[in-house]
Amino acid sequence: MAVQIVMDRTGDTRHEFDVADPEGVARAEERFRQLTGKGFRAVALSGDGSPGKLVGKFDPHVEQTLFIPQLQGG
Amino acid sequence: MERVRNLLRVLLGRALSQHGQEAPALSNILIERASGRFEPRLGAYFANGYCTWAPVRPADCYAVCERYAAWDLTSLRRALLCEAQEIYARMCAEHLAEVGRTRERRGMAAALLDRLRRRTRSPARDPVGEPEPAREEADATHLRGETQHRLRHWWAQQSDDCARYALFGTGFSADIGSKRAQERGIRLLMENLSAAQRKQYEKYGYFDVTGGKTGKRYRIRHGRQMNIEQIDRNGRRVCGWCFFPQGSLVAGDIMLAQKAAIELFESDALRIANRF
Repeated sequence: MAVQIVMDRTGDTRHEFDVADPEGVARAEERFRQLTGKGFRAVALSGDGSPGKLVGKFDPHVEQTLFIPQLQGG
Repeated sequence: MERVRNLLRVLLGRALSQHGQEAPALSNILIERASGRFEPRLGAYFANGYCTWAPVRPADCYAVCERYAAWDLTSLRRALLCEAQEIYARMCAEHLAEVGRTRERRGMAAALLDRLRRRTRSPARDPVGEPEPAREEADATHLRGETQHRLRHWWAQQSDDCARYALFGTGFSADIGSKRAQERGIRLLMENLSAAQRKQYEKYGYFDVTGGKTGKRYRIRHGRQMNIEQIDRNGRRVCGWCFFPQGSLVAGDIMLAQKAAIELFESDALRIANRF
């Protein structure tokens, strides 16, 4: 199972999908396109605290993708 | 000076009684200027997002400024943080010792009560026995007192939070979001910190990150904004950076986003950020 983690007011919202399920993958890809279109950055998490990897294109094989909203200066 | 120390003791004492044995790390001391009819306030901010405030007299602040020769807000805050950390370390040690003693006392009382109960249930073995009802009543009174104390404390905390939100709105607070949201945010952050960063964060309320592009070191403190410092190889502050993700995110999410940004798109993040 792969998971997309979207940061939001509730802490985060997790969307799990099975890479073997074409429908789930399609929904995940659509979500990826929508969020990155809104300015979110997708990061493939390493899981051990080491720097992850920026993801520019949807990859269903990434186990954990974190979506970070657009940054702003304070 | 002693007044400020007492005030810090009160603030830190609140955190200890609020969180029982798991005392959170003290991450910052906040100073809020007087505004309108409201007097200045001193706040203690902890690693788990807990924050508590108390009004402070300008004269007391001045005493600290004089004592530490800290004539700007940053130096004053730093001086107070040093002072508070010393006090907190002592208070934590005392608190843990007291918790241990109370637990021991309670264990002994429970064992005694249990023995008395058993005696009463078997009158043939000990027809005289001790006056159990009186002891049970004393125990119940003690329990009631303790519950009342907790309730009073909880209520004080609620009114403190209410006042804070009413005065400054939710946007001001560093611990925005429901408790559950904050916990989720912190959990997500912890899952994505390295063991060393996690340890550092739990102990000091901050963690260090290396810039993916420049290799510079940054220190991310617990908070939502103005919480990033660039540090040199000796751990001294070079400057501060302020950037955070849009939307009302909780502190854990913001710190994780800042970590990812520094590691993965440092130049972009610094271009957006404000330096202070």
